Amino acid sequence: MTELFINDEEVTVPAGTSILEACRKNGVDVPYFCYHPELSVAANCRMCLVEIEGMPKPLASCCTPVAEGMKVITHSEGLEKDRAMIMEYLLINHPLDCPVCDQGGACKLQDYAVEHGMGHGRYIDEKRVPSDKDLGPFVNTCMTRCIHCTRCVRFADEIAGTGDMGVLNRGDHMLIEGIVEDALESELSGNLSDICPVGALLDKPSHDVSRPWEMKKHKSTCTQCPQGCDIEIESRNDEVMRIRPAKGGVEPWICDRGRYVYDAFRSDNRLLTPRVRQGETLTDASWDDAIAKAVSLLKGKRVGIVFSPDWSVEGLTAIRLLRDTAFADAKVAFELHRRDMRPFAFEEGLSMSTKAIEGADQVVVLGSDIRQRLPILMQRLRKRANAGKPITRIGAMHYRTNADIAVDALIRPRDWHAVIASAMVQLTELGKLAAGMDAWLAKVDARHEAGKLLADALIADSCAMLVGEEIRCHEDAAALIHGLDLLMRAAGHTEVGKDGRNLLPEGMNAQLLSDVFGDVRTSAGTLFDAASQGELDTLLLVGSDPVGDGLFSRQAKAALEKVDLVQVGAISGDMGQYAAVQLPASAYSEVEGTFINMEGRVRVAENPLRSLGEERPMWKVMMRLAQALVHEVPAVNLDEIRKEIIERAPLCAALADVWAGESAKSVFIPSARNKGATLPNMASLNVAKALDVVSRYSMYREGAWARASALLSEAGRIHALDDLIVHPETLKELGLEQGELTVLSNTGAETFEVGTREDVSPGVLFVAKRGVAGDLSGETSVDLQGGQS
Amino acid sequence: MSASEMPKFSEERLAEIDALVKRYPSAKSALMPVLYMAQQDFGYLSMDTQQMVADVLQLRLMEVREVVTFYTMFKEQPHGKYLLEVCTNASCMLNGADELYAHMKEYLGIGPGEITEDGLFSIAEVECAGACAGAPVVQVNNIYHEKATAESMEALITKVRAGEAI
Amino acid sequence: MISSDPKKVQRICFDNIEVENMHKLEVAKKHGAYAFLPTVLNEFDTDRIIDEVKTSGLRGRGGAGFPTGLKWSFVPRNTGKPTYLLCNADEGEPGTFKDRDIMRFNPHLLIEGMIMAGFALGVKDAYIYVRGEFLHEYNVMCEAINEAYAANLLGENILGTGFSMNLLMHRGAGAYVCGEETALIESLEGKSGRPRFKPPFPAVEGFYACPTVVNNVETISTIPAILEHGGAWHAAIGKPNNTGCKIFSVSGHVNKPGNYEVPMGTSLRTLVEDFCGGLQHGTVPKVIIPGGSSTPWLLGEHYDVPLTYDDIMKAGSFLGSGAIIILDETADVVAVTRRLAHFYAHESCGQCTPCREGTGWVERILNRVDAGEGTQADIKVLKDASAHMAGRTICALAEGAAASVLSMLKHFPEEVEAKLAEKSS
Ligand SMILES: Cc1cc2nc3c(=O)[nH]c(=O)nc-3n(C[C@H](O)[C@H](O)[C@H](O)COP(=O)(O)O)c2cc1C
Ligand code: SF4
Ligand code: FES
Repeated sequence: MTELFINDEEVTVPAGTSILEACRKNGVDVPYFCYHPELSVAANCRMCLVEIEGMPKPLASCCTPVAEGMKVITHSEGLEKDRAMIMEYLLINHPLDCPVCDQGGACKLQDYAVEHGMGHGRYIDEKRVPSDKDLGPFVNTCMTRCIHCTRCVRFADEIAGTGDMGVLNRGDHMLIEGIVEDALESELSGNLSDICPVGALLDKPSHDVSRPWEMKKHKSTCTQCPQGCDIEIESRNDEVMRIRPAKGGVEPWICDRGRYVYDAFRSDNRLLTPRVRQGETLTDASWDDAIAKAVSLLKGKRVGIVFSPDWSVEGLTAIRLLRDTAFADAKVAFELHRRDMRPFAFEEGLSMSTKAIEGADQVVVLGSDIRQRLPILMQRLRKRANAGKPITRIGAMHYRTNADIAVDALIRPRDWHAVIASAMVQLTELGKLAAGMDAWLAKVDARHEAGKLLADALIADSCAMLVGEEIRCHEDAAALIHGLDLLMRAAGHTEVGKDGRNLLPEGMNAQLLSDVFGDVRTSAGTLFDAASQGELDTLLLVGSDPVGDGLFSRQAKAALEKVDLVQVGAISGDMGQYAAVQLPASAYSEVEGTFINMEGRVRVAENPLRSLGEERPMWKVMMRLAQALVHEVPAVNLDEIRKEIIERAPLCAALADVWAGESAKSVFIPSARNKGATLPNMASLNVAKALDVVSRYSMYREGAWARASALLSEAGRIHALDDLIVHPETLKELGLEQGELTVLSNTGAETFEVGTREDVSPGVLFVAKRGVAGDLSGETSVDLQGGQS
Repeated sequence: MSASEMPKFSEERLAEIDALVKRYPSAKSALMPVLYMAQQDFGYLSMDTQQMVADVLQLRLMEVREVVTFYTMFKEQPHGKYLLEVCTNASCMLNGADELYAHMKEYLGIGPGEITEDGLFSIAEVECAGACAGAPVVQVNNIYHEKATAESMEALITKVRAGEAI
Repeated sequence: MISSDPKKVQRICFDNIEVENMHKLEVAKKHGAYAFLPTVLNEFDTDRIIDEVKTSGLRGRGGAGFPTGLKWSFVPRNTGKPTYLLCNADEGEPGTFKDRDIMRFNPHLLIEGMIMAGFALGVKDAYIYVRGEFLHEYNVMCEAINEAYAANLLGENILGTGFSMNLLMHRGAGAYVCGEETALIESLEGKSGRPRFKPPFPAVEGFYACPTVVNNVETISTIPAILEHGGAWHAAIGKPNNTGCKIFSVSGHVNKPGNYEVPMGTSLRTLVEDFCGGLQHGTVPKVIIPGGSSTPWLLGEHYDVPLTYDDIMKAGSFLGSGAIIILDETADVVAVTRRLAHFYAHESCGQCTPCREGTGWVERILNRVDAGEGTQADIKVLKDASAHMAGRTICALAEGAAASVLSMLKHFPEEVEAKLAEKSS
């Protein structure tokens, strides 16, 4: 620790802290432009000058470390003169167009000009006029306003990892440039407008739409992925105008998916009134009529329930309450990606915080396209990679990450057993053992060299294992995950009875779902099959779109053709065409609800937006249905629902503390731990065919919300994934050429254009889930043949 | 531009670059020397050439762009076969560089950034060449001509035009 | 050609500068090159070398005049990271042209200095960063380095002593600011040459974040003599705290501009009158720019100043790189300032607000003033815009840019006024 004096006040800060940070920590205001707490220090704006006793000239406080006994002065006549002069330098080439600038009212330049400027400029020569850039659908530029602080360039390098922004030329010809074709190669591009301290980089979608001072702010939780970022929703007249990372949130950034989904909130796709089908069309109806219609389709019927996990925990629990009161036999599915339903399935959620993952000596990523699925976690990993900390990755594709992956191995899904087995052998040789490993190993003959890489990563002092969708969706997932648990134990990263791995969940609230629905859940695929085989009469879909998302779209389509659909949700989307009745539920921006993210962090929304239409919170919709169906209301208010939650979800007991007013910061919901040890069941694997199928997720296209957003759809078009790809070697081995090829699957033969890429594992067919061959996602293996079948 | 028209280093160059890269702690350090090679081989650094350099060194195009635009000796535009660079900084100025530069522009009939019709000459005003004892200094394709005069420069230009070696 | 030496004075770097073909290893060896190298490699160690250099009083010849031995002693040892030695041959300061002569006429002196300095610092890879315009010098150096490799003076196990070091020439590409040591490091890393703020200092975290020493060509070229003759020998030359000899690049309004190496403390008048053949016009200079264009101006009254760091500082300027530009009575100081302002605006790397905007602004105002279109208000802005650049930026370029403007305003207000008056008349 270092003691120093700031304006004669004695303060103590950790050694190596910059003077500016010492000032900020101690509430002393020092003006700055280029400094940003999340970015490297550039020290180029020179606004943060302070005086230090004994120094002849003022020094930039952002890049000067504190020293013992140092005497810092942050305000003096001399400094005010310097700051006024810096403002004057900055403004000589600035257009001074505040009245027409979106940043007006939230602009550092404007604020400081008022506070430190001289009031009039003395510059009379011509101003520099750099041209604007096309940075894609999300970022608007007005480069005449740029003050060259390079925050955006550092953001692109250090956070987005794209390095596609840069500084051209020098002197006062210096230019900030982006190299872009259609759009910035970044899923974090929306943050650029936030970090630009002036009006040079602006949010394009909200450009000219609204002014900062017209906006009302609502703290909320983004449910677009299990990261559950803290967001601030800005609204005007109860309409969502934009979404930004919440100040003081866990992460300073949010991804473009979470940010630009906002236009879905007020799109035509929103379900704002109840609707009932009349022939070809759905027409607006009163709640009473719609409920009556729903009851006619549900009462006394064989019902299957499919819901999405991103409702608040209160809404989700209400679904269970409805089921128990009205359809006691109904099976429930809430996950559209799982093939293996053995008990592992409920033990989702991370066992480490993302901060701990960032800090681990080793991170090993198994079968996950983290950048698409969890862009903010990826950003953390990128930060560690930038700091020279290794990331090991094993999976079916070298998914693009914009980060240095130290060790990267390609394998097929069918190789996972052999990879884990090899790692077990390696650890055994090093004397690292875990009870149960022998039995596991005995069931697997094959070995795979990538196991060595896994073992190498595991023997680090600390190792964070991230288990992704390639394993979670595996037919033998339970056994694989059990094997990984054994490895973590053998390597000493966790104890018996626990597991150290972090299973990346599909959506929010995973911890609660395993507790509340463990006993009644089934695979969505099984449920749809039952429906199409006439075993069900009606499907109750709650915010889920199983045709657009997940692995079972073919089965879902077949089922929906066959049975009646009662749809509850905030987005009508593609399910609208099947629905007999639609009941509108409040969006996540509109509820006073609780959310749990993948780490177990809890958030309770406090000042939600008002409903735009007739939509009601999910729990109310569920209770209303229960009342209409069986004249019984299991819970009449949020408190009663919450009581039910604590009863039904013992692992989530800590929620009670949050509801009782304890700071959410101190509460973590643990994930359930491995319940059933499962040995490999190789016999069940459907590997009769030559190629394993892996389906790819697109952050811009997955989920009903994203598809309802025009902005994200446009980004999805720009960042479209290849429809079908294989490794060139694979084609060579099969004696085939790139082009029109026939895919033979369990459901028949279809011809597609198949491309090649070097960065996918040989022996794998990659299918873009939302591409032309998306239905193939449901297959685990296929054969490939030449031309037309 | 079709693939065949894209600039491409010769095999010898690539081997040279391979060897050079090894002499630095990181390949990025070889960027400036490789840009010089590209400039020598292709005359100037077009966007395609910059992309090629980026590919060869496995850098991002932006990393190359930043460097190309920062340094005055990297040229993004073609120039005459002979680039006449007149230093007009203090010591040369005190010894008549401004007049020399004005004279040469007029003599060649071009301004900075232009090329004479025969494609032979371009002219530029440059900063201190580090040869102030020889003021005024004119560099011709980086060969120094010290104590340059209107006559000596005219003679040089005449020689070039006559196809003689200078 | 090197300017001839009218009086036999003591010289160090230029000792053999007139020897024909001195750039060839064979010739250089005949004149003593590398003769003492085996002794250094076999018998000296880091501490002894650093001690000798400290004793010698040698101060860096690149501009800042920082004691070389002290700089070397800051390099942390046993960090597990390589230590790099970078020779600064960027020589971009207007008026400076001394390193060029060392490189083109006596490259082996620099190479020998690099080997000795590299040995002292435990360096495996050393680089000489030469300005891009010096193509000829680059080629001469490359050839000399090749010869040195062939003679096992560089590379693996030098002269069987077990010490190995590589040396590579690296060309800049037209950016004055790359002479600033941290910009040089950035440039050598393949980036734009934008200076880094300090700390961390290069000695601790420089080239690729490893311990790094940056020294000027002349500094390095002085090392062989210091080690051969001893630090005390060097300390006895010149004046206390300003020891040894220094090459002065004299240009401008003198009859025989050129590089002259003289013992420190020689008076400016002696240098100009005895070595440079006197002024072109008049008997006393109007302006003396004593250490390169970035240093504040001295006037005729300082004509007798002894050429030492301390004396010139006392007179109000800096010895800098020893580049002396003499303006005689015919000089138009506003035009010269305008030209220098153009230089700094052109060479500013652009990162610091005051320098990026200030240098351009000052240039535009001076263009107007010099064209007779200036106003009184311009003069006030000139002063403010220059004064608030100096010392408030990452590197010293901005301070250098301000030096001439502030000097002009201070010493020649009437001439500036006269330019303003031109318009009204
Ligand atoms: C703008 C600027 C330009 C500089 N140019 C040079 C140069 O061309 N050559 C040089 O040796 N030092 C130059 N320096 C000084 C270097 O930063 C550094 O102090 C020097 O190379 C250290 O070597 P020395 O200790 O041997 O003098 C420059 C400094 C600044 C601020
Ligand atoms: S003072 Fe000028 S040249 Fe130096 S770092 Fe700042 S902007 Fe660049
Ligand atoms: S915040 Fe310190 S220089 Fe910009």
